[in-house]
Amino acid sequence: MSVHDPHAWPPASHSAPRRIAPGWRWIAELIWRLEHAFERARADARPEEDTRVRIFLIMSAFVAVFVCLALGAAYAALLADRGRFGDAANPGALVRADLVDRNGALLATNITHYGLYIDPTEVWDRGAAARQIKRVLPRVSWSRLNKVLNGERRLIVMPGLTPAEKAAVHDLALGGITFEPEDRRVYPLGASAEHLIGDADTGGQGVSGAELAFNADIRAAGQAGVDYPLSIDIRVQGVLENELAAAALETGAKGAVGVVTDVHTGEVLGMASWPTFDRDQRGAAVEGATLNRFTSAHYEMGSVFKSFTVAAGLDTGRADMDTLFDASAALMVGNRRITDFHAQNKVMTLEEVYLHSSNIGTSRLAIEMGPDVMRNYFQRLGLLDAAPIELKESARPRRPGRWDDSTLASLSFGYGIMITPAQLVAAYGALTNGGRYVPLSLRKGGARHPEIRQVVSQETSLTMLDLMRRNVVRGSGGRAEAPGLRVGGKTGSANKLVGGRYDASHAVGSFAAVFPSDGPVTARRYAIFILVDEPATYPRTGGFVAAPAVGRIADRIAPFLGVQRRADRWRTVTGEAVPQADERAEGAL
Amino acid sequence: MSALNPIQRLFDWKIRGVRWIEIIGVACVGLMILSVYIAKAGAARESAQIGDLERQIAENRQRVRLLRAEVTRLEQPGRLEALSRGIGLAPLDSRRQAGEAALTELAPQPDPKPVIVEPTVPAASEAAPAPAEREAVQ
Repeated sequence: MSVHDPHAWPPASHSAPRRIAPGWRWIAELIWRLEHAFERARADARPEEDTRVRIFLIMSAFVAVFVCLALGAAYAALLADRGRFGDAANPGALVRADLVDRNGALLATNITHYGLYIDPTEVWDRGAAARQIKRVLPRVSWSRLNKVLNGERRLIVMPGLTPAEKAAVHDLALGGITFEPEDRRVYPLGASAEHLIGDADTGGQGVSGAELAFNADIRAAGQAGVDYPLSIDIRVQGVLENELAAAALETGAKGAVGVVTDVHTGEVLGMASWPTFDRDQRGAAVEGATLNRFTSAHYEMGSVFKSFTVAAGLDTGRADMDTLFDASAALMVGNRRITDFHAQNKVMTLEEVYLHSSNIGTSRLAIEMGPDVMRNYFQRLGLLDAAPIELKESARPRRPGRWDDSTLASLSFGYGIMITPAQLVAAYGALTNGGRYVPLSLRKGGARHPEIRQVVSQETSLTMLDLMRRNVVRGSGGRAEAPGLRVGGKTGSANKLVGGRYDASHAVGSFAAVFPSDGPVTARRYAIFILVDEPATYPRTGGFVAAPAVGRIADRIAPFLGVQRRADRWRTVTGEAVPQADERAEGAL
Repeated sequence: MSALNPIQRLFDWKIRGVRWIEIIGVACVGLMILSVYIAKAGAARESAQIGDLERQIAENRQRVRLLRAEVTRLEQPGRLEALSRGIGLAPLDSRRQAGEAALTELAPQPDPKPVIVEPTVPAASEAAPAPAEREAVQ
């Protein structure tokens, strides 16, 4: 070995030494030594060995690499789950899941529609093609069809062809016609439950109703390929819609609202708003038809509010069933004179106040309780805030500015405050389910993480159930009776404010009911609320325009809800009156 | 050196100047290529079948969705009620409804019929009539 070793690291260089990082320097030294190990071996007179060793090392390296690759490939092919069919994207995935009712009946679905495209350069006889297409597809626009046919490039003629329409056009066997698939939301129930279900746009986003309220959940369910159930029962919904429409047509009303709920879970089993409209011709809908009156319309509800006043009086201990109220003369509150619609002109018990719907009696009770108590109960009954339902359309109430005696008197019988039917139904649920305020929900099983609060005691709730039942068998709600179903309820009638004055020709008649009203507070129980807006027939009171519909609805939906017909202390199972002890005593006299 | 002799012999084992180890290696590679080709061809065939099945499933699923929507449209509660009322049907009167428990009241069990016991006929009477009587009958 010479003084200058050509195999030494770093190689001698005449240029200035470069600065190399220690790590790189170590790797470079290693490679350098390996490389020159063979040269050293040759120098040691073993040239045949160094070549074989070199080949052996290279082969070993290749074998090691290929063994690793083979093992990896075998593992991936035989043992690993990744890439298998189960891990692939869900083949049944949809942009939006099918909406179904609580029993799985379809409410909304996605169906592949087709866009109709025409390339005019491939059409031989444009006039004949236009006539044939118009014949099998009458809803296509003549102007659009002719514009595309007389153009120079491929354009869309009409989106949203149904599969049947597509087949009809396809069968014409015309040249230049093509179809592009497009996923569309379809509502096969038509106008049924349309306010509740709402709409989704062509981009797959909900824009109103449950489609908007549960947009994220529906899309997630669609990705998972499962249906998304709502709380409604389409059988109940159908009965509700039919009876509501019948009541509205019978009374010549401007509008009507109806709902059926489970008072314990807050689930909405049916929700209807009349009049309805054609989804495809929304612009042609009559005024107010597109409004979901249940969540978005405000009304001064009238005497249905007396239940809240009486419940507050009972719950605070300010009154009991034997407490007397002087309704023998009109009540003067300042300069305001409060009278009764069905004046009895006598001193009445609380039960009589409720059954005869005495404005004087409830006004006296409200004034006696004072503004703090009334506001507290109204607050806890949810009458001062928007109803906590999932629908984004839920509107805030129009609350009174002052809480003086005159306002309290008005509030006691449902004037001076405008609320939505959703608020009223939720509050009635609290009065009839043992005193718990349960938010309404369109989700099957009820609201997720609901904020439930105790509003009145269970005793008060039981008393209210009894009073409501008495009101049907002995009071103003007689037309709501359904044989054997123990319906209880309260009528409501109010005049609307027209031009700054309450006008008797613009009235609202309503009936808030619960059935069955007997049994313990935990018994299964359903609320029905019907409101008829501006009935044209006389009388316009809730007992005449809304109560009969409630009775018919209860009668028809009871089998769906599993409510058994039974006699109670007032009526037999077939609806005949049971003689009462006080009536028998009067008869004996 | 003796330990390397078998390997040395393996490499020195030749036919017509070609090492057997190389022939065996080439044969193994050829076999491997053939098996990979067969496996890939089989996988491609199965993949095509799977794709075809998936397409059929998607089409059938779409058809089912379409039929389900059509059934729902035809079974609209309002439509059914209108049709029912059109042919004179109406909700059943509650007085004509009954649960299972009331069935016995509606159609009570008939009283068991009294069992009439036939008087026992002496064995002698069942015997053939006397020849004289038989003749008389004839």
